[in-house]
Formats: sequence, C-alpha cells, structure tokens
Amino acid sequence: MNSELLIPLLAAAVVSGTPILYATLGEIITEKAGVLNLGVEGVMMMGCFCAFITAQLTGQPWLAFLAAGLAGLCTASLHGLVCLIFQGNQVVSGLALTIFGTGLANYLGTPYIGLAAPGFSPQPIPGLADLPFLGPVFFNHDPLVYLSYLLPVCLWLMFRHSRFGLGLRAVGHSPAAVLAAGLNATAYRWGGILIGGFFMGLGGAYLSLAYTHLWTNNLTAGRGWIAVALVIFAFWRPGRAVFGAYLFGGIMALQLRLQAGGTTLPSSLLLMLPYALTVAVLLFSSWQRGTQAPAALGTNIEPSS
Amino acid sequence: MRLHLRSSHIIFCALLAVFVFSQPSLATDKDLKIGFVYVSPIGDGGWSYAHDIARQAMDKMPGISTSYVEAVPEGPDSERVMLQMARKKYDLIFATSFGYMDPMLKVANQFPNTIFMHCSGFKTAKNMGNYFGRIYQARYLTGMVAASMSTSKVIGYVAAFPIPEVIRGINAFTLGVQAVQPDASVRVVWTKTWYDPVKEKEAAKSLLDVGADVITQHQDSPGPQEAAQEKGVFSIGYNTDMAKFAPRAHLTAPVWNWLPYYEKIIAEVRAGSWTPRADWPGMAEGVVDIAPFGPMVPQEVQKNVLAKKAAIIAGSEKIFVGPIKDQNGTVRIAEGVVAPDSDLLSMNWLVQGVVGTTE
Amino acid sequence: MHGFLLRIAKRQEPSPLWRSALVLCGAVLVALAFSILLLALRGISPLEGCRVLVMGAFGSAWALQDCLLKAIPLFLCSLGVAIAFRLQIWNIGAEGQFALGAIGATWAALTFGAQPKFILLPMMILAACSAGGLWAMIPAIFRQWLGANEIIVTLMFNYIAILLLDFLVYGIWRDSSGFPMTPAFSKNAILGTIGTSGIHWGLVHCALLGLLCWLFFRSTRLGYEIKASGDNVQAARYAGMPYNFLVVLVMLLSGALAGWAGFLEVSASVHRLQPSIMVGYGFTAIVVAWLARLNPAGIALTSFLLAGLRAGVENLQLDLQIPAAFGAILEGLMLMTVLAGGFFLSYRIVVRRQT
Repeated sequence: MNSELLIPLLAAAVVSGTPILYATLGEIITEKAGVLNLGVEGVMMMGCFCAFITAQLTGQPWLAFLAAGLAGLCTASLHGLVCLIFQGNQVVSGLALTIFGTGLANYLGTPYIGLAAPGFSPQPIPGLADLPFLGPVFFNHDPLVYLSYLLPVCLWLMFRHSRFGLGLRAVGHSPAAVLAAGLNATAYRWGGILIGGFFMGLGGAYLSLAYTHLWTNNLTAGRGWIAVALVIFAFWRPGRAVFGAYLFGGIMALQLRLQAGGTTLPSSLLLMLPYALTVAVLLFSSWQRGTQAPAALGTNIEPSS
Repeated sequence: MRLHLRSSHIIFCALLAVFVFSQPSLATDKDLKIGFVYVSPIGDGGWSYAHDIARQAMDKMPGISTSYVEAVPEGPDSERVMLQMARKKYDLIFATSFGYMDPMLKVANQFPNTIFMHCSGFKTAKNMGNYFGRIYQARYLTGMVAASMSTSKVIGYVAAFPIPEVIRGINAFTLGVQAVQPDASVRVVWTKTWYDPVKEKEAAKSLLDVGADVITQHQDSPGPQEAAQEKGVFSIGYNTDMAKFAPRAHLTAPVWNWLPYYEKIIAEVRAGSWTPRADWPGMAEGVVDIAPFGPMVPQEVQKNVLAKKAAIIAGSEKIFVGPIKDQNGTVRIAEGVVAPDSDLLSMNWLVQGVVGTTE
Repeated sequence: MHGFLLRIAKRQEPSPLWRSALVLCGAVLVALAFSILLLALRGISPLEGCRVLVMGAFGSAWALQDCLLKAIPLFLCSLGVAIAFRLQIWNIGAEGQFALGAIGATWAALTFGAQPKFILLPMMILAACSAGGLWAMIPAIFRQWLGANEIIVTLMFNYIAILLLDFLVYGIWRDSSGFPMTPAFSKNAILGTIGTSGIHWGLVHCALLGLLCWLFFRSTRLGYEIKASGDNVQAARYAGMPYNFLVVLVMLLSGALAGWAGFLEVSASVHRLQPSIMVGYGFTAIVVAWLARLNPAGIALTSFLLAGLRAGVENLQLDLQIPAAFGAILEGLMLMTVLAGGFFLSYRIVVRRQT
C-alpha cells in the first residue's frame, strides 16, 4: 500500500482507537483490583450522553468531558453497589449494567437525536505536526487524543510507584493478604471501579464531543465490548492496551477504506473484520501466555463479621 | 396447613390489582385518528423525521388527532403495533418502511374499516394502498450540482443499505453527474446503518482519502457533512436541509415534503373517495424537492439545475431513459426506452461509472 | 451506654422458597418503582404509566396472545442460556445462536421446499438446532482447549452471526424484489397455528422442551453431573467426570435451543429470513434465566412476564410517546435489584444490643 493511503489510514486508526483506549484503560484499572466490570458499554453510553448534553447546555467542551467522566463514575458505582456491598455475581451485574446504562442513555437522549453540540476539533501541534509520517499520524488530532497519549504513562506510574496502585494490584492478586495486612480491601476495589468508570465515561465522551458532534441511540456500537476483550489482549498492561486499541481502530477504519478503494467483497463480510479479529487476538493471547489475569478477578470479598 | 406462596402468585395478584383498579380509556372523540409507524427514531433528522414533520402539521389541523410509534422493528413487532392501532379504532394508519408491508396486509385484512397506507412497498388490498416518492428526481439534480463543483471528478457516496431505493438513488445521482461530467466516477461505501454519525463520518473520510471532493449520502445523520466541511470540500445532504451542520460545505440536498400528499389522502378519506392504489408522486406534486443552494454554488449552475427541475416537473425529463449500461457494460435499459416503474422499484444493479458493490 | 451493633452473618442453610419469592418480588417492585418514577421526569403520572404498561401487556385477550407469541422464542433462548449458566459457562451468544438457527432452518426450507410438511419441518428443526449448536460449540472448544474467555467469544460471535445473516439475504438468498430478504417460504415450511387461535405450534414445542429439560436435570445421571459440576468444578474433576465433554455438550444443547427459537421465528412468525428477526431475544434471555434462578418453570413464568414487558413498552410508546429504550432500563434495573436482593438470601443481618 502506498504511503498516500497508508498515512490517512494510520491517522484514522489513532482517532478510531482513542475511545476504545480510554475505555480499555478504565477496565484495566477495575480488573487489576480484581473486579470484572462487563458493563463498559453501558458506562460509555452514559458518559457519551452526559458529555453531549452538557456541551449542548453549557457550550463548554472541557466541562462536558469532565461531566462524562463523572457520569461514568456514577454509573459504574452501581456495579460497585451490587457486587461489593450486596455480593452480587460480577458477570451478571456487569451485563445488567450494560443493558441499563445503554437503555438509560437512549431513553434520556431521545429528544436530542439530530442535534449538534460544540466539541473538539483537530488542532495540529505546531512543529510536531510537520514531521514526516509521525506528524500526520499522531500530531494532527484533537486535544482528547493528545490527552490519551499521556494516560498510559500515568497509569504505569500509578501501578508501579504509588501506594494506591500497589494496593490495587495487591487486592486483585489476593484480597486475603491485603486484609491480613490490616488494609481496607473493599476501599481499593471501590477505587478501581470508580476510577475505571471515570475513564470509561471519557471514552464514551470522545464519540459525541470529538469524533462527531452529534448524538444518537447506541452511539458506542459495541466498542465497550471490544475494550473488555482488549484488556485480555493487553495482558492487563497499559502499554499494550495502546497497541491493541490502535490495531482495532485501524481495522474499523480499514473496512470502510477497502470499500472506498473499490473492492468487490460484500460489505457484510468486511464489517465482520473487527469482530473476527477480536476473536483471533483473544485466542492467540490466551494460548500464548495462559492467563495473566489478576488472581482474584471476578471473585467477591466475603463480608467479615 | 402451610401456605406456599410462589412468586408467581404474588406477581399475578399484584398485576390483577392494578388491572382491576385501573380505568379503561374512553374513546369519544370524533376526530380522524391517524397513526404512524416509524422504523427509526423521529429525531434522527432523516427519513422518519421527514414523515413526522408532516404528522405534526396534520396534528395541528382541526378534527385530526395523530399518534406514532417509532423504532419499530419490521416483522411481527410491527404487526402488533398496527393491530393495536386498529383495535383502538384508528381511521388511517401509515407505515413508513418496506418491511412493514406483509404485516400491514395481514392487519388490513382483519380490519376492513381502517384505511392502511404503506410507504415504499407494492402490495395493496381493498383497504390498503401504497405510496412512495420519486426522490430519485431530486437525486439527479443534486448529481448535476456535485459534478459542477467537483474538480477531481471523484464523488463519494455514503450509502446505508443496498436496497432498491438506495441503489436507484445512486444511479439517478450518477446519471446527473454524468450529464455534466461524463467521465466522473461515483464511489460508494456501505455503512449498513441508517443513523450512526461516527460510522458515516468515517465512511466519508475514507472516500475523501481516495480523492473524492464532493460527498453525498443516503444516510440520516449529518456525519458525512461534518467530514466534508472539516476537509474543506463540498457536500450534499439528504432528507432535510443539512446546511446548519456544515454551512461552508453544504451545496444542496434532496428533501422530502410529505405534507401535500398526506393532506390529499386525508381529504379523500374524509370525502369517502379514497381508493386503494399505488401512488408514486414526485417533484411535480411537491413531495420531492431540492434544498436551497448554498452560497458557493455559482449562478450558472443554479440556472442549469433549475431548468432541469422545470423539465422534470413538466414531465419531459424522465431520468431513467436508455441507453443505460450497468457496471459490467451490459445494456439494462435499451435505447430510447423509459424504464417502467416496476423495474425502478426492484432495481438492484448499479450504472456504469459507479465504483461499489450491490451487497 | 446503649447502642446497636449491626453484624452480617452468613446463613447456614439455603433459603426456603417463601423467602426467595419475597426477595424476588421485592426486587422487581423496587426496579419497577424506579422506572416508573423516570416517567415522572417527562411529566407523566407514575400511576398512568403503570396502567398503560400493564394494560398493554395483559389488559385484554389479544394482549395476552401477543405476550405468549413474544414469550415463545424468549423461553427457548432462556432455557438454553440457563443450561450453560448452570455450569458457570457464561453463554452471552444466544442472539447469534438464534440467528444461526434461523439461517439453518432457512437453508432447509429453500433447498427442500418441495418436500411434504411432515418431512420438511423436522428437517428445518434439525438444521436449525445443528447450526445453533455448532455456533455455541465453537466458543466452548476455544474455552476448553485454548482458555479463551467465552463471554467475549460468544459476544463477538453474535455480531458475526448477524452479519452472516446480512451477507446471505443481501447476496445469494436475495429475493427477486431486490429487498434484503429471502423469498417467502413454501407452504410446507410454515409451522401453522393451533386451530383458529393466533398462536402457533411453537407453544407446544416449548412445553415439551421445557418438560424434557426439567426431567433431564432431575432424573438423568448426566443432568446430575451438570448440576454438580456447576456448583463445584473442582469436586467434579476429582470425581472423574469428563469436564471438557460436559462443557461442549452443554453449549451444544444451549445453542440448539436458541437455534430452535430461530426456526420458530422464520417458520411460524415471519415465513422468510430477514434481518429484522433480530430483536434482542438473546440478550433478554440472560435476564430471564437469571431472574428465574435457572429453573425451567421459573423461566416459563419469567419469559411470559418479560414478553409482557416488551408488549407493554410498545403500548407506552403508542399512548404516551415514551421512548422504546424504557424497556431496557426496566430489564437492567430488575436484574441489578434481584442480584442485590440475593444478598439477603445468603446473609442475614443480626442486630445486637451493645451494653
């Protein structure tokens, strides 16, 4: 493929992968603490809607972005409520959250379909945007993309060098050990859920604030589920998550570009590519390294008397 | 004796209580009750929205009350919705998607006193008629505008589903393009959605990346318009005037205007002169039009297009007149032949000059 | 100094039925209350909303018939999902297995359409169950031999299945009218209605399959193994039960049931294959299976109620212009409240006076 087509494709991969990246990082934080939150789709939808409506009402994109994070945090807190306090099954609770979050966002958002809201536009970084190849691919996007470049680094630092991050990982590995050390394991899990939910909300916000400035039902279109799969592909590491998110962004952009390029393949088959790739990637990851999951992922901590 | 209270007992008792103590609604209004069944949300700014604007206007008319159900899946769900409307003694029911055709026929046969109108289909009954609009006429005109404003001679078409009405639209558009620039090409990308701004915008971008400098769409969201404006090129909307989303890019759009047709049907129903038939009104009847030109369209182009519009309204321009070849070069409409409506309604091949699949 | 100390103690015995029923009802009512309150945001009185919802669901003979018709595919999908859930296999793929069942039945109907009814219909059922079963078996094999998370694989398979359906109806099976659907099935491929009622024979299929399921878990050795494995995988392995085989078999059955529902949809309801048969039964099935605590009788009741919810929500749209997403809110909330309610079945709150 010549560079004339490759560079726009890679640039599109970055843009397309950014909402997935935010969501994947959020789910990594949650799962590192040992909580499986399958409600990513629902949380993203709520973030997406809250971002849109805040931008519509206030005209302030950054405020809307923040609001989305808070909406995601609140939505994810329901999962915390059901699982951490009421000892509900984490898998089913996550599914319920997906159904509820998507439904609530669609319900509240129905009057706003077809409206536009102020959002973010591409702002090339002076100097860096002129670099050959790297410039158009990485430095000619909106501010939220640039923010997403910093996040994996921040997460890595948090997990490695902060007390909170270490505590989080410890809880995901062995809640019993954390409790034995006299720490509040449940509090760390709450942290994982809430902060994770915040980032998932941001991922949803990207779709209605930056990718487009519009809203519709089911705007996230399954990206939350791809994020859940990417966490496994990333072996729960923020750095690899970046690679995975852009890979998926690239595939989603590619199928449309193949059509524009004049392929005779039926569009239905092309549209299967992201999902088939998710399965392939999952199979490969699972086979390759067995499971690298946090040992206590998916289990609840029994309430102590 | 121990009382085994099953959850089923409790739930049924609760529901029974609500049922018993609720008041049935009384239907005493002598208004003409009209119901609409939409396949997508009305706020989408697109297909359903266009019907709903007409509905809202009718609702304000004296002696008429309207209601609607949106986002109704085709198939058994639509049948249930129409049954409900019929049972609530609606006088006139409009169903605005092809897939509602068979369910509507079933319901029509059960309720002879209600009149059923199906949009974009082909079956009729004693109390059921069908209708559509010749939007392809407007598509042709917008194709002329696109070709006039394009320098790269590549025009991008973001399309939803490969169904006859969309394919027909692409073909009419391409014929319009070729009337101005015979060797221009139209490239099609299928999104398989009526309304997903993210996907539509990405599809538009993919067309822009292969050199398109005018984007048009058979989609309900302004996503592609945004993409065109961001790149600094031109675009053509659909369904309604999308200029407010992309004022620097929006040239024009093929638009629907259902109110004149609906008013006609209401008048017939009230007068008792309605007959079941297949209606396919177009520009001449005011059901189809093009949106006002954007300020960037030169006067010369506007004149040409409006002249063509007058010809269409007068009936001298039929658009699908042979010789027309498909993508393989085969002649599909012979020289001098005007394609019959039945061929147009089941069109599933693309004309030469279109780059894209039909699947 | 007096005060109260709240302690949480784990219950030693499983909860009796009355307590389970009470908690379930309470949870559902809490979810209903919250949802109805949402209506108040639009200026609709909660009582009015409730009335329209219930009347639309159960308010007349034809509403009840609508419920039954919606409940039939939901019941079968839920039955399948419950079987997998018993073994703690999270089969989220009922939607895709339903689609494959519809595709399989369509293939049989289009290829053997000239056969008499008593041959064609069983062939369609066989094709549907095989296709659905296969679609579930593949994720099971990936799970056992590659350790791949079945939640994600079955979910991705949903999307792929729907696109496969699209591929067929837009391509080789496309009707001559040009629209994305197969030609209408021949008369022999259509499962008829019971007498002059509006309900097709699928209802009887459901009753038989439900009964078979119940008997299977209650009276067969394999059913026992599945129950035992689900509750305690380690013990099952230690007892020498063939766990891998169990997983694949269970998923095969799970997919076959969803596939049967797909057959009913194309044969009895729509009489052809078209993309609009996909309305989310597979996802609601998960809610039903969980609310019903995975047992067939509970599933029968719960699928009827949730089918009623769908019908009621349509009525809300028609009479009060409530967006269709309201149903999803209620479903999601119910599942969460029921999950939360389970807490009170496993634990009890002990109040002690502190002196």
